[in-house]
Amino acid sequence: MKEEELKQIFLAEAQDSFEELNRLFTQLEKNHSDREATEAIFRIIHTIKGNAAAMGFEDVASIGHLLEDIFSEIRKGKIILTSMVFNDLFKAIDKLGEMIVGIKEDKKVPYKGLRAKLKVILRNLKGEIEFEATQGGESSEEKDQALDEILSQKKELSEEHKEEILASEQPVPIGVPLAEEFKEESSDKKSKITFSDFVQVPVSKLDTLLNLVGELAIEKDRIIAQGASIGATNEYTRLYRITSDLQYSVMGVRLVQVGALFHKFHRIVRDVATLEGKKVNLQLEGTEIEIDRNVLQIISDSMIHLVRNAVSHGIESPEERIKKGKNPEGTILLRASSDKEYVIIEVIDDGNGVNVEKVRKKVLEKGLATHDALSTLSDDDIVKFIFEPGFSSVDNVTSVSGRGVGMDVVKKAVDAVGGKINTKTELGKGTTFSLSLPSSMAVKSALLFVINETEYAIPLSFTEAVISVKKSEIHKVGNGLVTSHLEETISVMFLRDIFECKEPDDLTAPHLLHRSFDEIDDHESKINIVVVSVDNRMIGFVVDRLLQQKEIIEKPLGKPVENARFISGATILGNGNVCLVLDANDISEFLFKPVFATV
Amino acid sequence: MNLEEPNELPSSNDDKMASAVEMNRIETEQEKKSNIIVFRLGEEEYGLHIDQIKEVVITPRITKVPLTPSYVKGVANIRGNILAIIDLEDKFSLNRTISETSGYTLVVESHEYNMAILVKDVPNTLSVADTDIDYSPSVVADMQGEHDYINGIIKIDDRLIILIDIFKIITKEDLKPVIGA
Repeated sequence: MKEEELKQIFLAEAQDSFEELNRLFTQLEKNHSDREATEAIFRIIHTIKGNAAAMGFEDVASIGHLLEDIFSEIRKGKIILTSMVFNDLFKAIDKLGEMIVGIKEDKKVPYKGLRAKLKVILRNLKGEIEFEATQGGESSEEKDQALDEILSQKKELSEEHKEEILASEQPVPIGVPLAEEFKEESSDKKSKITFSDFVQVPVSKLDTLLNLVGELAIEKDRIIAQGASIGATNEYTRLYRITSDLQYSVMGVRLVQVGALFHKFHRIVRDVATLEGKKVNLQLEGTEIEIDRNVLQIISDSMIHLVRNAVSHGIESPEERIKKGKNPEGTILLRASSDKEYVIIEVIDDGNGVNVEKVRKKVLEKGLATHDALSTLSDDDIVKFIFEPGFSSVDNVTSVSGRGVGMDVVKKAVDAVGGKINTKTELGKGTTFSLSLPSSMAVKSALLFVINETEYAIPLSFTEAVISVKKSEIHKVGNGLVTSHLEETISVMFLRDIFECKEPDDLTAPHLLHRSFDEIDDHESKINIVVVSVDNRMIGFVVDRLLQQKEIIEKPLGKPVENARFISGATILGNGNVCLVLDANDISEFLFKPVFATV
Repeated sequence: MNLEEPNELPSSNDDKMASAVEMNRIETEQEKKSNIIVFRLGEEEYGLHIDQIKEVVITPRITKVPLTPSYVKGVANIRGNILAIIDLEDKFSLNRTISETSGYTLVVESHEYNMAILVKDVPNTLSVADTDIDYSPSVVADMQGEHDYINGIIKIDDRLIILIDIFKIITKEDLKPVIGA
């Protein structure tokens, strides 16, 4: 299945390249010294060759290789193109096209003759045996031909040329009966126009499509809700099914294989390792796992950062590794696996691990937490500080990493797509960063509730429980509020307190979080709390009313409100209203921010 | 996003250009007419180039966004797009005449911004010869000092229309409160 898909992608690309080559060759034929075209041809042929070799299509690869040789010489200016060679080059390209079709239809295309021919051309050109411009008349005529005419005319020309080529090539001994093979070729050569089975679509078009489907889903909800009120639910089952199918199909179109990103790391790892004088072996697992293209794009920079970090800070130098009794060659494993709605991407290195004591020292130095606070934290919690802005555990700034920006950016990117990041590290053994990312950004389950007559949503991935407590069970502790849930003490906040702030400065007003709490007179009145868990911290959000659990399509807010605090995006409800989606990470950050805690 | 006027044309009369380097962005040939959308804010008439506007809709229900400047009224659903709703009367400190629950919304056409601005009535379009637009910096510069969102002044008969560039109204300064600490 996977193999087949790769083949399809290869064929689609090859087909495109083939058409592009045809265009470039005609361009080059008109102007032999067109450097741009030469470069482009070389690049394309190189790609075809590489892809074909990787896919095991030896025939395409071998022709590609020869063409590449020829063009590499041309590029370097070592040989000069003559009009005559073009006929053979065109033939070679046609052959390449046939081969691509051959792969598709599982048909062998004879190519040995052509290969010999190309070798001859290469040898002749290299030997600086320039072909006599005997065909000058023809070629100048040919130059004036329109693009399409050249293609059809070529067939006739090739007949004539064949003799001439053979004549002119007499001095070169060739082991293959060229004439026969070429004859056979030209006879079954058809000017067939083939279309790729793939369509390239700009992502923006898919976004529009997804938007429309999102709207449709909202309308569907509205109509079904209406129908339910008059007891006509069955009428809508088909509508429901079709819209759901449509929605998932569109989402499916946006999925790409993680491998698209993973394969780029071979080069990155190599470059960083060379720079740092380390030996690193990159392994990939689960490259076929599919994930939303936009998610992949957003986290790609973070992945680069993590991998570079792993090479630069994780893996030790070969000498050090030998001293420790490790294989001098370090290993970095990129692994993808899927877990329900999530894709887990892990960056695993077998390097030195994160030194928790160092981190602890750094945290104190930077004043990111107090000594007392730190002493209560587990090692795992302390390691989390590497994701704090302004933290960098490396003393020396290198050109690769270690400027103290980065890890916090990684976390931000992961937060932005609604994912989570976990770190496991063992001193001397290595570190694992695991990113759990939504496989599709389009749809997520969320809990809807009302505060101040405004609807809000919070992704279910954050919610732990919904509880109801009496006012008397909530206690003021410092500037905040706490209550207990399942024997655990959790922070409680009235979201309206922070949402009613007009200025960012208001957020630091003393006793801000007590305001709404103080307004409640009745100690017995029930307070609804949605318990969310962020970074293993539990926070209870007080809500006025709970609505429902629902699949929402979250859209990011655009300019000028794209950076609005506490909000990660918005969705449109069945009633047409915009419902803001809470950014639990940001709220948690605000709540536990040292600045606030010390007010 | 290009903040300059899309209908900018290379001008041939260089000497004229030299005097108004900053404000000549929409300077075109003498005979050229511009279509301007005119609407009332407070007691004044304001104008926008028609190509900055996508459509006019009845103001939808607005959802407030916490911790945004007061002129950002919130976000609303306009044809499936979530747009920020901007109140320019608030922004320009003019007399309030616009209601959020009645009235109309001008949807701004842009790749960069998702926003719309509140207006009281359905705006008119006006075809203005470029000669009627006063771009001279002396008029414009001292109006707001640091802000250069005023493109020019249109004087037709007794009317005075302030031509603004909607994309310059939202500046980084303004977004500070949004971005937060």
